[in-house]
Amino acid sequence: MASAVFSDSRWIARGEERTSLSRFLFWLAPWAIVLVVGIYAAGLCLYYGLNQTNMDNRFAFGLWIFLDLGIIALGAGAFFTGFLVYILKRSELRPILNTAVVVGFICYSGAVAILMIDVGQPLRAWFTFWHPNTHSMLTEVTFCISCYLLVLCLEYVPILLRSRQLRKLPSLLVFEHQLHKLVPVLAGVGTLLSFFHQGSLGGLYGVLRGRPFAFRTGFFIWPSTFFLFILSAIASGPSFLMLVAATVEKVTGRRFVPQELFRRLGFISGVLLALYVAGKSIDTLIWLNFTSPSEGFAPWQYYSHKPFGTPILFAEIVLFGLLPAFLLTYRRSAARRGWLLSAAALACAGVLLNRFVLTVQTLAVPTLAFDEFLQYTPSWQEVASFAGVIAYGVIVYSLSYRYLPLFAPSRGENTHVSGD
Amino acid sequence: MSARYGMVIDLDRCTGCGSCMMACAAENNVPPLQQATVRTGLTPMLVRKVSNGLEGAARREAFIPIMCMHCEHDTPCVKVCPQQAVEVDKATGIVMQMPQRCLGCRYCMTACPYHARYFNWWDPSWPAGMEKSLNPGVAVRMRGVVEKCNLCHARLHEAKEKAAATGKREIDPADYVPACVEACPTGAIRFGNLADRNDPASQDARSPEAFRLLARIGTEPKVYYKSKEAWVRALAESKSGHGPETGSEVQHG
Amino acid sequence: MKVTRRDLLVWSAGAAAGLVVTPVPWKLLDDSSIWSQNWPWIPQPTRGPVEVKQSACTLCPNGCGMRLKMAAGWPVGVAGGSSHPISRGALCPLGFGAHQLNWHPERLRTVRRRATTSSWSEAKAAFAKACSEGPVVIIDGYPGRAASSVLESFNQKRNGSYRVVLGRETRALAPYEAWSGVPASALGYDLENAQTIVSFGAPLLDGWGPPGRFTRLWAERVAGAGPQLRLIQADGSLSRTATRAWRWVPVQAGCETALAAGVARVLLEERLVLARGPMPPLTLVDAASQTGLTTDAIRDLARTIVAHPPAVAIANDDNPAIAALNVVLGAAGASGGIVRRSKPATSYVGADAAIPSARAVLIDSSVPWDFARQTDAEVFRFAAWDGGSSKADWLLPAPGFLEELTDVPTAPTSAIETYAVAPSLVKAPAEVQSAAQFLSSIDPTLTTAEKIIHARCEDLFRGRIGTLIGRDRTSVAKLDSVQKFEEQLWKGAVWVGERSRPDGLRCELQVWPTAATSARPESWSATWPAPVLPPLASKLYKESSLREPPERRNA
Repeated sequence: MASAVFSDSRWIARGEERTSLSRFLFWLAPWAIVLVVGIYAAGLCLYYGLNQTNMDNRFAFGLWIFLDLGIIALGAGAFFTGFLVYILKRSELRPILNTAVVVGFICYSGAVAILMIDVGQPLRAWFTFWHPNTHSMLTEVTFCISCYLLVLCLEYVPILLRSRQLRKLPSLLVFEHQLHKLVPVLAGVGTLLSFFHQGSLGGLYGVLRGRPFAFRTGFFIWPSTFFLFILSAIASGPSFLMLVAATVEKVTGRRFVPQELFRRLGFISGVLLALYVAGKSIDTLIWLNFTSPSEGFAPWQYYSHKPFGTPILFAEIVLFGLLPAFLLTYRRSAARRGWLLSAAALACAGVLLNRFVLTVQTLAVPTLAFDEFLQYTPSWQEVASFAGVIAYGVIVYSLSYRYLPLFAPSRGENTHVSGD
Repeated sequence: MSARYGMVIDLDRCTGCGSCMMACAAENNVPPLQQATVRTGLTPMLVRKVSNGLEGAARREAFIPIMCMHCEHDTPCVKVCPQQAVEVDKATGIVMQMPQRCLGCRYCMTACPYHARYFNWWDPSWPAGMEKSLNPGVAVRMRGVVEKCNLCHARLHEAKEKAAATGKREIDPADYVPACVEACPTGAIRFGNLADRNDPASQDARSPEAFRLLARIGTEPKVYYKSKEAWVRALAESKSGHGPETGSEVQHG
Repeated sequence: MKVTRRDLLVWSAGAAAGLVVTPVPWKLLDDSSIWSQNWPWIPQPTRGPVEVKQSACTLCPNGCGMRLKMAAGWPVGVAGGSSHPISRGALCPLGFGAHQLNWHPERLRTVRRRATTSSWSEAKAAFAKACSEGPVVIIDGYPGRAASSVLESFNQKRNGSYRVVLGRETRALAPYEAWSGVPASALGYDLENAQTIVSFGAPLLDGWGPPGRFTRLWAERVAGAGPQLRLIQADGSLSRTATRAWRWVPVQAGCETALAAGVARVLLEERLVLARGPMPPLTLVDAASQTGLTTDAIRDLARTIVAHPPAVAIANDDNPAIAALNVVLGAAGASGGIVRRSKPATSYVGADAAIPSARAVLIDSSVPWDFARQTDAEVFRFAAWDGGSSKADWLLPAPGFLEELTDVPTAPTSAIETYAVAPSLVKAPAEVQSAAQFLSSIDPTLTTAEKIIHARCEDLFRGRIGTLIGRDRTSVAKLDSVQKFEEQLWKGAVWVGERSRPDGLRCELQVWPTAATSARPESWSATWPAPVLPPLASKLYKESSLREPPERRNA
C-alpha cells in the first residue's frame, strides 16, 4: 500500500490487498466523467422532453429499450446463481455468488433508472400499480421488476454490511446475521419473480398481434417468446458472470475464481444455450410457416431489407447460439480459458442480438402495404445516458470490489478459495 | 342499446386535399409546432398518398386517410397499456384514450399496426394569444403522453347534452358528426353506427368494394375503405399480398 | 435504557403502519398525480358560453360560407356553412385554420417604413404628398366588394388607375370578353348542367373556384346521383384531379394549346359538332407530335368529348385556343358551358397590363403576396400578415380575419349571382386600418364601404328578384323591409339571383386565335389564394408528405 496523506486502508477488509487510493481514483476518474456526462444527458431529456432523443412515432422504442432488455437478460446470472446455490444446493458456485448479486443489482438498478427517463411522464410511474391492467405484459414486468429490485437490494445489504467499518457496529452485525437467514427465501422469491419478468419481457413482443414480425403463438396466454426469453436469459447469465469475473481478474491482475468454476459456469451456460437454440429453431420454423402467413405476411418480406437479411437469423441461431453452446460444453474447448471466455462472449452477444432483433427490427419492418422499411440512429443523449449507466455499474462494482469481500468466503462457511 | 361507431371512406372520392387533417387538428387543439417532422408529427388524421407502383401513363395514385381504426377484437392498444389509460367504450365502440393517465411508455404505439398513435414529443405551445382560439370542448395534452383519434368524442358529448336538454334519450345522428366527416368536400368519409343495419355507413361497409386494412391480423377495425379499383383494394394486406395458403385458420386470442 | 433489536423492529413497524393511516402518503400521491396532470404552463382553452354564428370566409374571393363557434368573443372553431348554395358546406384546408390567423406570428400590427416603425399619420402624409405629385395606381385583389368601389372611386377623381389581380378562373374567361364584349367578370361556368368536362390542367378538384362547388357536384355524380358527369383531365402530370378523373389524358406539359387545336380540327373535319369554324391552322399530325399523343388518341378524345353532351372545356388560365374550342363545341353561351350572369358588370383592367409611370402604388391587403411587380414608384402595401420580405416602402397593417365588415360578391366561376355579408365578429386591434378606410380618411368625400353595403342591400331589396338562402329559403319579393333583408344577410344568409340565360353570351370568332397564352408560373397561391398559411397548415404539410409547403415569397 502506498503511503499517502489520505489512505482508505481502514475501509479495506482485513487481510485483503488492494491497490493504492490514488491509483484507484485514477481508475475511477474516466468512468466518473462518463457518468457525469450521462447524468447531464438524462437531465436534458427530463427537462426538455423526449424530443432530445431520435425516437419518433415509428421507433417509439429505441436504443434504451433494447439495452434495458439486454442488461436485464445479462443480469439474470444473479437470480439463477442464487437459485442454483440455495435451491439446488450447488455450493461449488458460491465464490461467484456475491459478484452475481452485485452485477444483478447494477443491471436492474441501471435498467430502472433508464426506464424512468424513457417514459414521457416519470411522475406517473406509480399509476401502473394503482390501475394495473391484468392483460398487459408490461404491468407484469413493472410489478416483477420493482419487486425484484427490492429483493436485490435486500441481497446486496448483507454484502454491504460485511464492510470492515460497518462490521464494527454490533447492531448491524446482528442485522446482517438475521438477514443471512433470509437469503434462501429471497433467492426463492427472486427466482420466481425473475422467471416471470424475464418471460414477460419476451411476452411484450410475442403478444403484438399488430407486428407479425414479432407475434408468436405459444402456450395458453404466453407466447413462445416468453419461454425463449427465460431460456436465453439463464443461458447468458452465467456467461456474463464469467466475463465479469475474468475482467476483474484481468484488471486487478489477481485470480479469485478457480478455473473449475469457470468451466462449471460455462457448462451450465452451454447446456442451456443448446436447449435455447433447439427451442428457438422450432419456434422460428413454426413462425415462418404458420403464424406469420396466417396473418397475411410471407416471411420473405421481412428479410428483403438490406442489410437486415437472413444472415441475421443465421447469426442469432448458429453463430451466436449453436457455436458457443458447443464450445462451452465440448471438453477440449472448455478446458482452455481463452476458448471458454470467447464462447461466453459469443453467447452474451447472441442474447443482445436477439433483443435487438425483437425491439428494433420489429419496428423497422413495415406492416401496411404502403409503408417502408425505416431507419433509426440514436441521438448522443441516448448513447450518453446509457454509457452513464455502464459507468455507474463499473463504479459500483469497483467500490464493492475494493471495500467489500466479494470473493472471500462468507462467515460460517468452509469453502476454500484457491488460486489457479 | 349500444352503438358501434365506424367509418367507410370512399377512396375513389378522396382527392387528398387535406381538409380533414386541418379540421381534425383544429378541433382537437393540436399545437401548430413547426419543428416536428413526418416521423415526429402529431396528426390524428393523416392522409397518405399511395400508388400502383408503375410509371408514366400507367401510373395510378390514390389517397388513403389513416386514423385510429377503433379495433373491436383484442384491441391491441387496450390490451397492452400497463395502466388502462385506453379502453373501449362499450356504449359506442370508441377506443378512448385518457391522456391524463398515460405514462408515456409508448407500448401502445408499438402495438398499433396502423401507426395511428402519436406521441407528444414537445410541450404544446401556440403563438402568443392563439390560445384564445382553442376549442373549449377538448383538453390540451401535455408532453410525454400518447394521443390519437377519438372520433371527436367531445361532439358526441355535446350531442348527448343537447338531447338531454330536450328530454330525449337518444341523440340525433345529425348532431354527432366528427370534424373530418364534416370537412370533406367530396363527402368521401361516411360515418355511422355499424350496428344499425339501416345506417348508410353500415350498408356501405357490407358492399363488395369495401375492405379493411390488414384485416387478416384479426383486430376487426371499424374503419372501412372502399374502391372500385382493384389495385387500391390490394393495398389492404401487406406487401406479400394474401400470403401462401397454408390451410391453417387465423389465430385469435 | 438499552435499545434492543426488538425495539427497533417494533418501532419501525409501528411507524410504517401509523403512517399509512395518516393522510400524508395518500395526499402526496394525490398531489403528485394532480401535479403531473396539470402543468401550469400548458395553455387552456377559453371558457365561456359558446355561440354559433354564420358568416363567410373573406380570405379569398371565393367567399365560402362559414359557420363559426365563438366563445367569450373569440372564434374557437370553424366549419363550412352548409346552407351556402355555392360552397355547400365545404371549406378549403386553409379555411379550417382561419380562426387562428389573427394571432399568426407574422401578423402585422404596426406601420413600418422600410425597416423602421412609423405611424399612420406619417403614412397618410406621404401618400397625400405622392398623390399631389403624380398618378397613383391602386391594385385590388378582390374586386367587386364595397371596399373595391371605394378604391376605384378614389382614382376616378384623380389622374390615376385602378387595377385588379384576377384569379386564373376569371383570367381563363378573358378571351370571351374579347369576342363578345361581355366583361369576363360577368361570366361563369354552368357546370351543373354539363355532362362532359374536359379540363386542360385546371385543378378542378383541388383548388379551383369555391372548394365545395365542383367537388360536391362531381362526388354526387360519381356516386350516381343525377346524370353521369365525365371529367376528362388533360394534364402533364398525375395531378390530384387527374388521379380522380374519369379519364386522364397525359399530354406534354405546356401543350394544351396544341391539344385544343387538334381536338377542334377533328370535331370540325368529322362534323361532330354543329359549328363550321373556325378551323385551327395546326394539322393533326403536328398537334400529335407537340402533345406527345398519337393522332388516333386525339381523334378518340374528340369523339369521347362529344359522346355525352353538353361538353365544355376549361382552361387553367387565359388560353384563347381552349376558349376557341368552346366556341367550336358550342359551349360558349350555352347550357352546361360558359354563361353570362344576370348582373351587369364592369370590365376590369388586369394588373398585368403595363402600369404607366406611377408616382405611387397602393396595394390592397387582398392582393396575394406572389404578385410582384418591378416598379420605382413608392409602394404602399396593405396587409394583415407579412407574407415575405417586402420590397414595399410602406407596410400598413390591415384588418385581419373577420375584423371588419365586408361584403362578399359573386364567387369566380359561379353561374348565378350571389351576395353575402361577413360582419365583423372579432374586435380589431387598435392599430389596423383597411385601404378603403385609409383613402376615405384622406378624401372625406368618398362614401364609406359600410354605406355602400347598405346601399347595395337596398338595391337588391328593391329589385324584388332572387332568394335569400340561409336556414330557410325566402323569396325577396316576400320580404317587408330592407331591414328584414339585412337582418338575414347579417345572420349569414346568401342572396341568390336568378339563373342566367344561356343565350346571354354570343361570341363572334372567325379565325382561330394565334395569340400566345400568358403562361403563369405555377404558384402555390394560385391553388388557394389565401394571404397567409395558417400555422396548422404549414405544420401539417411538414408532418405529412401531402404537399410541399410554399417558399416565402417576395412582394
